[in-house]
Amino acid sequence: MSLLEVKAINTYYGDAHALFDVSLHVEQNEVVALLGRNGAGKSTTLKTIMGVMAPKSGTINFAGRMIENMPPYKISQLGLQLVPEERRIIGGLTVDENLTLAGLTAPNRWHNDRAYEMFPRLAERRNNRGRDLSGGEQQMLAIARALVREPQLILLDEPFEGLAPLIVQDLIGVCRQVASEGRTIIIVEQNVHAALGLAKRCYVLNNGHMVFDGTPDALRRDADFMHRHLGV
Amino acid sequence: MLRFGADRGLGRWLPEIASIIGLIVFPLLFPIIGGTFDMMDRILIWGLFGFGFDILFGFTGLLAFGQAAFYGIGGFTTAYLLINGYLTNALVALAGGTILASVFGVIIGLLSLRRSGIYFAMLTLAFGEMFYFLDLSPLRNITGGENGLSGVPAADLFFKIEVRTPEEMYWLIAVLFFVGFLLARRIIKSSFGAVLVAIRDNVDRVGVLGHDVQKYKLTAFVIAAAYGGLAGGLLGLFQGYMPPDAFYLETSGQLVVQTIMGGAGTLIGPTIGAGIWIYLRSALQQFDGIGSLWKMILGIVFVLIVTLFRKGICGGISQLWNRVTGSTVSRQTAVVPSAESLANETAMLPTAAIRNRSALTGSVILETKDVVKRYGGLTAVDSVSFQLIEGEIRALIGPNGAGKTTFFNMLAGTIPVTEGEIHFAGEHITHLGSTAVCQRGLAKSFQINQLFPSLSVRDNIRIPALARRYGKFNPSMLRDVEFDDDICRAVDDAIAAVQLTGRADVRAGELAYGEKRRLEIGLALATKPRVLLLDEPTAGMSPSERTETVQLLKRIAAGITIVIVEHDMDVVFGLADRVTVFFNGRKIAEDSPEAIQANPEVRAAYLGSPVKK
Amino acid sequence: MNWSLLWAQLFNGLTLGALLVLVAMGLTIIFGALGVINFAHGAFYMVGAYAAYIAYTATYSFVISIVAGAAVAMLLGLIIERGLIRYYYKRPHEDQILVTFGIGIIIVEAVRAFFGGIAKRVPVPTWGEGAVNLGFLYYPTYRIEVLGIVGAALVILYVVLYRTRIGLIVRAGIEDQLMVNILGINVTRTFLVVFGLGSMAAGFAGVVNSPIVTVNPEMGALVLVQSFVVIVIGGVGSFWGAVVGGLIAGEILSLTAMIEPAYSQVMLFAAMAVVLILRPQGLFGVQGRQ
Repeated sequence: MSLLEVKAINTYYGDAHALFDVSLHVEQNEVVALLGRNGAGKSTTLKTIMGVMAPKSGTINFAGRMIENMPPYKISQLGLQLVPEERRIIGGLTVDENLTLAGLTAPNRWHNDRAYEMFPRLAERRNNRGRDLSGGEQQMLAIARALVREPQLILLDEPFEGLAPLIVQDLIGVCRQVASEGRTIIIVEQNVHAALGLAKRCYVLNNGHMVFDGTPDALRRDADFMHRHLGV
Repeated sequence: MLRFGADRGLGRWLPEIASIIGLIVFPLLFPIIGGTFDMMDRILIWGLFGFGFDILFGFTGLLAFGQAAFYGIGGFTTAYLLINGYLTNALVALAGGTILASVFGVIIGLLSLRRSGIYFAMLTLAFGEMFYFLDLSPLRNITGGENGLSGVPAADLFFKIEVRTPEEMYWLIAVLFFVGFLLARRIIKSSFGAVLVAIRDNVDRVGVLGHDVQKYKLTAFVIAAAYGGLAGGLLGLFQGYMPPDAFYLETSGQLVVQTIMGGAGTLIGPTIGAGIWIYLRSALQQFDGIGSLWKMILGIVFVLIVTLFRKGICGGISQLWNRVTGSTVSRQTAVVPSAESLANETAMLPTAAIRNRSALTGSVILETKDVVKRYGGLTAVDSVSFQLIEGEIRALIGPNGAGKTTFFNMLAGTIPVTEGEIHFAGEHITHLGSTAVCQRGLAKSFQINQLFPSLSVRDNIRIPALARRYGKFNPSMLRDVEFDDDICRAVDDAIAAVQLTGRADVRAGELAYGEKRRLEIGLALATKPRVLLLDEPTAGMSPSERTETVQLLKRIAAGITIVIVEHDMDVVFGLADRVTVFFNGRKIAEDSPEAIQANPEVRAAYLGSPVKK
Repeated sequence: MNWSLLWAQLFNGLTLGALLVLVAMGLTIIFGALGVINFAHGAFYMVGAYAAYIAYTATYSFVISIVAGAAVAMLLGLIIERGLIRYYYKRPHEDQILVTFGIGIIIVEAVRAFFGGIAKRVPVPTWGEGAVNLGFLYYPTYRIEVLGIVGAALVILYVVLYRTRIGLIVRAGIEDQLMVNILGINVTRTFLVVFGLGSMAAGFAGVVNSPIVTVNPEMGALVLVQSFVVIVIGGVGSFWGAVVGGLIAGEILSLTAMIEPAYSQVMLFAAMAVVLILRPQGLFGVQGRQ
């Protein structure tokens, strides 16, 4: 059985229809990319899975549980963790406090030191306030925050947005390491090549409709299709 | 001119006629259930106080907790003038009290309106208390401190009429109550009143549509202060004594409670609430043991009403009425424009010139020079220079975080510019702000609908039409806005332009999503802009709705310059003459849609291969 | 220049200020975390004082009275939050103000009905009687002790906020409630705790202040208004804003009473007006919710 099974969800912003019968599935230990231009509904999909938004119809099954009507904190406690776009680091808390906060309700939480091993940059800044970190450091902290909870499935929402290319390279390395440890990941990205480099399978959304489900190679082969739905 | 629903007959005056009848009948009926003239006088005084407060809170949405200040100022001024013989005519003294209360209304309003919402409520409460303390101590010699001012002489009116007893006072108060009601009704029905209600519904949108919101708020505040001052003066005349509790926080609180109980936004709600309060207080005294609990009982009733019947008694009655008579124009099915209706409505518009993309030779109408936007260390928009030719349709595209929306918002004046200049029709508009920018002819429509949900489509469109016709502040309070033919024409034209004619009287909150999007565009269109900024107009739409919107925009585009931010490439290619591409805060390409499609740098930006910066 | 009068007023200002800090602190953490401005906050202060009065007449122990006052205020806060306020989180701010205002009326009237309108006295505890020789001034013992008690309470509050799990959650929640939710924490449960803490702070202040003022049903009204002023001056949602704002307010009230008693309350509002003109967000204004 799939770790995550999303079936025909329809999500609305007020009465604006954002997702039209969107379905996808993720297996254990996979890295799956969810692509599309902005406004396509990628973030909306992740938010719906995480319970930040409730779908009007459709079902979401995670590790055998139906989660489409659960509040985010319950879903997080089940082992699904969103790393939101814009990172949303708690600026007034220190790096250390941010990590501690993240692990409070996780049964198998990491010790903060383990996070520092993985992200030495954060170790140097452990007593700095969240708002004093650079963009790249905040993104590392956001990912570390999720890892501290030892989640079964991580949802990465635009982790490379707004970051300089060098930092993006660093982060790709981090993501590769996390993936190689056998974690299951859904990554939403506008940077198509970076995402395809990490993923085993990919989906493409366009205007709230799912228009592709296949491998990165299959996608790359159809250049026309790529430009139509992802480019200009 | 065809006017949907306007009643030019006697029906318009129903509330005023009803109030006259009510005022005459009140002293006949009320004593039957144990009411006295003393109670009736007090109810009407509170009602008068409430007209102004309801205009401020019920209609403009500003919850103020310090109205007692103006009640006290007006009351003590009137009393002081009469007691010390500076004036003998009671009406003139009342006018004096009202004027002084209004002056303080300006001062306190200017200070309190520097903040909004919760802070505004806290500030008005604090300033109200400040006047209480002023009354009690420093100005003790004038106001009598804890003792108040006694010895207010019998009201001496014109023609040597003297009024003293509660029965005689009733008629004086009733006349002033009626005049106050008449005036309040005129204010509410005027164009000024229309803007106030829009402020209550969506204050930010009102500013972006070209109105000077602060001036409107301040004027409403002063009106409330004036009514308060008049009511206070009447209290002193009526009692022959001006008490310090006119300044109490309790007085401000009583006004709020009465207004909510009776129903805010109805003008007579406060009067009804006062009736309940005063009658209940006296009626409950009859019962031993309960007598002292009357205020607690009222408190419980108040909490119940706020929780369950937010619209108060009047709201409850009107809901019942709607259920009995069948609901109004609300839940009808959305009207999807058919081909014939489209053709008919297009025929009513000025002839739409066929767009000829290659023939754009107009002058530069909107231009930016090295515009920068920084947020702390982050540069969102980096030195963008941009020229918009009059009559063209320009699309702004780019991946997420590219800066196009930030740039767009700087053009509209909704966010400030860090560096650089923006010129519109030759004028420097860089730091003018959205209200001024809109007045000059640059209007924006939002990605997420920013409508006035409790107003009808017609009333929605009226708001920008008023700003276009009368400028950013128009304190015209005496003319009924529904009979302003210029405005009616402009509103009907704008409604037709976005194909909402059949739905003009439906409340905006009840429209279908596609209709709401059209109304959103209609609001910007009604400001009669030279340049229209559209932020993702097709957001959240189904494919068929998208196609319809593109057709609509093509029709609108005649005679207007358009800048559109979009992600849907079909829409971009269907509409745009030229496309400007943003990436990492910079403009990386600007060309025809076909050329942009083939541009390798643009492709790389979207798909993410390494790119030279 | 009457130095001993000046010193006395400076100390009075500190005492008064310390109590205002406590009350304003309760108000500001409720507002920062929940977004609700509690117009019944003054009523909790009053309830604390009355609970202390009952406890004192029963046990003659001031310490027990302090515990009783704080506990009753907190309990009342918890009941009201669960019973009514939590249905209002999604409603507009105006409605929240109105319902808390109404609750305030009910509480005050209920107390008046039960105890009558005549003021009660809670005497100064035996360990607070007399005066202390500070060298430059003889100052009432109890008032010095108030400084100590309130100081201790603030330290405890600081420790709770900055050194405990629940404090971490509250501080994070004030900034970004949704993110805390996403991180697996049930935020609405913490609302309960915050409301209880805030009410307890007000009740505690009411008890501690009761030997200095008279205990009557209206005693909370002025404190409510003054705590609003403190928040406007200090900045909403800010711990240090409440501290600095409260102390400034206390000193303004006290020192102007020395110069011109009739104007002392008015001066506080004038100071608020000045802050409003020059720095509308308050001295330590925090963005957070608004």
